[in-house]
Amino acid sequence: MHLDLLTDPLVLCIMLPLLGAVLTAALPRRAVLLGSLMAVATSAAAVTLTILVWQSGTLRVALGGWDQKLAISLRADGLATALVVMANIVGLGISVYASGYFRDPERMRAFWPLWLLLWAALNGLFLAGDLFNLYVMLELLGIAAAALGALTGSRDAIAANLRYLLVGLLGSITYLLGVALLYTAHGTLDLDLVAASIAADDELFAVNAATLVLMVAGLALKAALFPLHFWLPPAHANAPAPVSAALSALVVKAAFYLILRLWLDLFAPVTGMAAAMLLALLGAAAVVWGSWRALRAERLKLLAAYSTVAQIGYLFLFLPLLAATPAGPVRDSLLAALVLMAVTHGFAKAGFFLATGLVQTNAGHDRIDDLGGTAQRLPATTFAIALSGSALIGLPPSGSFIGKWLLMQCAIETGQWWWVIVVTTGTLLAAAYVFRVLSRAFGLEPTPLRFITDARAEIPALLLALVSVAVLGLASGPLWTLLGLQAGGDA
Amino acid sequence: MTQTSDRARQRAQARAQERARDLSLLLGVLLALLGAVLLGLYYLALDGGAAPRLAELALARLPESGVGNPVTAVLVNYRAFDTLVELAVLLAAVLGIWSLGPAPPGFQRSGAVLAGMVSWVVPLLIVASGYMLWVGGYAPGGAFQAGALLGAAGVIVRLAGDPTAGLPAEATQRWLLVLGVLVFALVGLGLMLFGAGFLTYPPKLAKWLILLIESAATIAIAAALAAAYVGGRPAPSKAAIDDYGSDSSP
Repeated sequence: MHLDLLTDPLVLCIMLPLLGAVLTAALPRRAVLLGSLMAVATSAAAVTLTILVWQSGTLRVALGGWDQKLAISLRADGLATALVVMANIVGLGISVYASGYFRDPERMRAFWPLWLLLWAALNGLFLAGDLFNLYVMLELLGIAAAALGALTGSRDAIAANLRYLLVGLLGSITYLLGVALLYTAHGTLDLDLVAASIAADDELFAVNAATLVLMVAGLALKAALFPLHFWLPPAHANAPAPVSAALSALVVKAAFYLILRLWLDLFAPVTGMAAAMLLALLGAAAVVWGSWRALRAERLKLLAAYSTVAQIGYLFLFLPLLAATPAGPVRDSLLAALVLMAVTHGFAKAGFFLATGLVQTNAGHDRIDDLGGTAQRLPATTFAIALSGSALIGLPPSGSFIGKWLLMQCAIETGQWWWVIVVTTGTLLAAAYVFRVLSRAFGLEPTPLRFITDARAEIPALLLALVSVAVLGLASGPLWTLLGLQAGGDA
Repeated sequence: MTQTSDRARQRAQARAQERARDLSLLLGVLLALLGAVLLGLYYLALDGGAAPRLAELALARLPESGVGNPVTAVLVNYRAFDTLVELAVLLAAVLGIWSLGPAPPGFQRSGAVLAGMVSWVVPLLIVASGYMLWVGGYAPGGAFQAGALLGAAGVIVRLAGDPTAGLPAEATQRWLLVLGVLVFALVGLGLMLFGAGFLTYPPKLAKWLILLIESAATIAIAAALAAAYVGGRPAPSKAAIDDYGSDSSP
């Protein structure tokens, strides 16, 4: 027996959920037990990985014992690890919630293997160090996500998720075209080696730039960047609650992570201010349009889905600021703020969707206008909605408050003051849509004799919401350390 | 009166069709232009790119890989992890199809001519699939080709009127579907546990480990393709219905 502590957690983060998917698919009658065990084991591996990266910096392994050029590499740097730990904690919360959510045993048995496959794909995507391996992970992610989204079996859900599947395939294929061009031009698929080759050789600028366009366009489709967001609201709003949480908090975030990874690591010599500005403009449109549609939404889940469109928009606003800031502590802080925004949204949106699912199962609907008395009947759930809502707005002390603060500060310092208007508008609209829900929920209804309490469903929602507000806001310093950055004092 | 409105509707329809045709023509032209640009870029990349790509390296390390066919070496050794996840993609696809409901009933029993042909073709396909699996070690072939042939046998059996496509009952079928990922993952993790590293085959064992993985993958791929063609969860047998009834009772 031999365990290599430095590289094993990297592999286990992907292989444990995969093994769990196999076992739950083969033994459907024990799916809940096996799935929960594997969820706990996967989260433990992810936490171990985080501690290791914290202590010893970036980890990497070339699989199969071949040299880096020939093999598939896995690597965990600060950025990947921050998202891995977020995804796995949220994943654990979703698993606990899901173990009591499905009434129909058929749905329950269909849910677990697909969910664990989705989880494996997420971890694989965050930890991949190889362009083609990323494509395979994207494919697994897309198919598992669309199948999970259609689990309710309603006509709307199937139509929305068929569209999601086709859109996702278009995005993957566009990405794959980029991979083919990069391999032809640079002769390898390893991310680090391709990055070095792009940096060293500026003769192939046209090819590199075209690849950037292809890859970012394909992934923007998957990340639902305005105006490519059309598939997201129906797909996310019609899925079962734990699936909506996974899709909105994690899957969309994975596509954005990949854009960021390519933008910063691979195409740094190619990306210009103009390209960053274009993406940020689309992001700004997403912030305003998504928030506005969320405010006008009639159903709670649709509101949450449009809010995801807006929150993804914020992340793109960082790109021109990163381009305008020279390397140094200010840029490092900006990058950390970006990660903090993404991670906070992951926790907050998962908590919001889980709590919404509870409201929907108890009231039988999720029409916002008819939510009166929810605070009296479901006090803990309403509290979870309020907490995660305050993180969506960006109220202090949530993580997104710090993120938005640093974003606006940097926007003013680099003279791109117009983003401040976008952020303020988005924040005001977010406050309006969150308080619209809360004002209905806290109606003046008589207090019922019994509260509805369901610890298995309420605690995950509440804890995830709490992390987004309290932990990430008050203790965001460690994030700077994890990302390997110097300026930890800002937060 | 009705005639004129009918005619107006026809004219409107014709106009709409024309507009749709113009739009698809425009789209076609734009896509052709995009294709031309991509081809130009590809030529640029091919011309000015790094000349020694991975092919030379892959051929140079072939003796250590345990197989003689470079494609098999790439699929099951150099980039084994990709193939493992691809098998998981197939599994996800079948599970997704199953989650949408039970399978449609299938076709009526075939007549004598078709049945006679099937009883000839299916055994041939099974033998050919076994040959493909073995030959993949040193010539074009391997698990995906072998699985496709075996899966095609299942499709033919279903077309000839067997609603199960030759697959066993659901409980066994589930094990067949996961077999590829399961064996692949267990080999990989086992090697990791004994110190060789994840999916790092020791050169002496490489050939046999690859054969084991390829055989399991062939069965899983064939089962997945046939199950996907069936198009839904297999109809439960009598025993399974009783079992299910006892399971869902409170």
